[in-house]
Amino acid sequence: MDTLRREIHSLNKAPKLRSTVQDVDKIIEELEAARAQVAATLDTHTASLTMAKLQNPLNRHFEVMTQDLKNVSKVHKNLGKTLDKAMPVKPLPTDHDVMAEHMDLINRAIAMHLLREGEFSVAETFQNETQDDVTLADVTATQPSTGPDGTEDQIMSEPDGGGPDLMEMSYQSEPVAKRQQSQASHIPPPELKDRFADMYRILESIRHHDLGPAIEWAREHSEELEARGSNFEFDLTKLQYVWLFRGPEVNGLPSDRPNGRLGAYLYGKENFPRFQARHLHEIQQLASAMVFAPNLPDSPYSSLFAVDQSFSEIAASFTREFCSLLGLSAESPLYIATTAGALALPRAIKYASAALAKGTAWTTTDELAFETPLPSNMIYHSIFVCPVSKEQTNEANPPVMIPCGHVLGRETLKKLCKGNRFKCPYCPQDGLFKDARRIVL
Amino acid sequence: MGDYEASKINHDNHLLLDQPLLRLPYELLRKNFRSAHFVIEKDSTQVKATLKEAATASLSGKSSPDDVLKNLDVMLNKMRGLKRKLSACADEEERLYRQLDARTAHLAELNDIHTVDDVRYQPWSRKRLDRLMVDYMLRHGYSDSAEAMSEQKGMQDLVDIETFKSMNRIRKALENGSVAEALAWCQENKKELRKMDSDLEFNLRYQQFIELIRTQDTPRKLEAIAHAKKYLLPYRDTHPDEVSTICGLLAYPPIYNFDSGTGRPNPSKAGIFPLQLGPNYDNNGSLYPLLTVCPPRYTNIYSQTRWQELADSFVAAHNELLSLPSSPLLHIALNAGLSALKTPACHSNVQHSTAAGYNTGNKNTTVCPICSMELNELAKAVPYAHHSKSHVEHDLYVLPNDRVYGKARLLEYAKKNGLPDSLVKDLVTGDVFPWDELKKVFIT
Repeated sequence: MDTLRREIHSLNKAPKLRSTVQDVDKIIEELEAARAQVAATLDTHTASLTMAKLQNPLNRHFEVMTQDLKNVSKVHKNLGKTLDKAMPVKPLPTDHDVMAEHMDLINRAIAMHLLREGEFSVAETFQNETQDDVTLADVTATQPSTGPDGTEDQIMSEPDGGGPDLMEMSYQSEPVAKRQQSQASHIPPPELKDRFADMYRILESIRHHDLGPAIEWAREHSEELEARGSNFEFDLTKLQYVWLFRGPEVNGLPSDRPNGRLGAYLYGKENFPRFQARHLHEIQQLASAMVFAPNLPDSPYSSLFAVDQSFSEIAASFTREFCSLLGLSAESPLYIATTAGALALPRAIKYASAALAKGTAWTTTDELAFETPLPSNMIYHSIFVCPVSKEQTNEANPPVMIPCGHVLGRETLKKLCKGNRFKCPYCPQDGLFKDARRIVL
Repeated sequence: MGDYEASKINHDNHLLLDQPLLRLPYELLRKNFRSAHFVIEKDSTQVKATLKEAATASLSGKSSPDDVLKNLDVMLNKMRGLKRKLSACADEEERLYRQLDARTAHLAELNDIHTVDDVRYQPWSRKRLDRLMVDYMLRHGYSDSAEAMSEQKGMQDLVDIETFKSMNRIRKALENGSVAEALAWCQENKKELRKMDSDLEFNLRYQQFIELIRTQDTPRKLEAIAHAKKYLLPYRDTHPDEVSTICGLLAYPPIYNFDSGTGRPNPSKAGIFPLQLGPNYDNNGSLYPLLTVCPPRYTNIYSQTRWQELADSFVAAHNELLSLPSSPLLHIALNAGLSALKTPACHSNVQHSTAAGYNTGNKNTTVCPICSMELNELAKAVPYAHHSKSHVEHDLYVLPNDRVYGKARLLEYAKKNGLPDSLVKDLVTGDVFPWDELKKVFIT
């Protein structure tokens, strides 16, 4: 890559097509001069003489031009060679493009990605363009045989497998998520835009160290946040307290009554009692810090009062909470999926070429034939692989725990059974098949 | 998996999706050079010839000074035209060099990034996603969005808006039943198409012929015959099937309401049968004019879906010519990525206890991208990832309701909910149990 980069960087000095334009210029000059000469005299002799004289220089210029062209061609050829070396052509697996059948779903995913990234104008352009496309397709192709009811049921039933706790909660609290489900599958719900616009407005004020809108939001959704076991509201209140506590020198707010230590005291008195039950210890610490105020950096509370990172941290957790309440993941799924795709692609290509060479094909459609290593932060679910059969457990073959606490796939256990007794493959205990419990990981 | 090894970036393999990023400008560079070469060759031979002729004529006294002037003017015009064309090529070359420079700079940023956990990786990968999205938009003809997006992100040098825009123009023209644009493109890339053994041009010419016949207008039919002689007959060796239908088509008029199954006219919408040679009884005993029982072979030829096929084969030829993958890069990335991320839990009806983030476990729960609404439906189409090792939380305990959680998460959640030390709360169902009823789980 480095060589390629150097070579491309030096292309400016290499022979270019521009030089042939100069050659043409020279030819034009010669021709013009000759024309002027002939036109000046309009004499047969001069004309034939000029024309005869013109032959050699013109031909020479043409030769130079051909030479220039050759040089340019050489540069391009070399560039091609370096490119081949730096980035050898590896064909991408395109033979069965499953995604092509689901354009509407991809369009929706892109539109939602744009919205969550705050690219509202691009999202709008995109939605307009895709919608034109959809209406066009609906007119030409008469295939909406699966009515809206059918698709709705499908979508409604399936998020259960996903983040069920969050989804369910968002059903109760946020009508958005529910209404989204009943929307046609290719259009992101219109409310979503306003939601994300809200989110960006609040994030913007956090960036300007104004927690007001965020606190307001957290208070509105206090119950749902609590149900999630989230401390977000308290974290906000705490940061606001600390922020006021640090006074005008740090927070740059006008130094008046609601600011500074007094302001923090008043704020705390008003707001902390709501959190007393769950965060008593922290509140005590924050309150006792008052005593150390003159010498905070050396006090045991200095770490509590460091605000350098706090705002970006609170912004990140705000995004996470906000998306979770909408039943969405905090990071754009499209981003994670494409990044994972880039990481998994080498294996996929390797597998494809190996399968091609052997003339075999993977026959089951539910599971990939090869392992795709992903970094740990891209693993979102527990994965249990039966230690005996080496198969991933799933609905049909769930994990079961035998009395000694070891876990196996149910199919494995069935095979291990002699009559209705089995012996644990990992410890000396044995047990009865009916004592095995199906567990949910 | 999930270890350091997995988060390391393998530089040799990480840029697979980015091959077209450099390939395309390179192919365009070559194409541009070829057209520059072509005009130089053509015009310079002509000018040289004119020059020689004019000189000999004038030396032998056959031409007057006025003739010489005329000849000189012809040459000057030619050269000025050449200059114009070459300048355009030179501009294009400079633009492509600039693009290549910007693109290699973008790719080279990855050189210093060695793991995906590097803080610099995320912005880079985001930029890649933006590129893939623009590529997707362009390929599906959403050029306005693509332009808005690339402008918003300031990455005009990293995407190929013009190339795809002209491709979409030709594709749209074909879909609307016009071959002229596509034929012009074929003319431009004649040599390369021949090398690729592309039958695009033949199919376009064939379609022209079909359209002439479709009119059922005598002068047009004559034109069609001349057209076939000129453009289709030379292909009789490579496309014997199609060429052999030419005369047949002249006999079978396009009656749109032929029933495609039986090849018989649909009586409900009786068409015009210009060639009625007499009644003929078919097997069912019903009366049909002889030649109106059109073989399916010919009914298909008149089909309007051929235009879509032509548009598709044009796109395929275009992409092959510019070494572009046949499907949008985003499809490829999503296909690989979705199945790598997907687990059996993502579409199951059981409420999995770790559905909400086993990995982020102790901190805050986040929704899995496959479970998130955006991709859930899409991910149904792909298989789930293969794993040979279990990935579970550390120190698992099973609750009396058979749900399993990591000890750390249970402790934290109980604390957050202000429960006394002796109790735990199910993270999903919200049930509360005493610690003594929990049992340790051993994952081997």
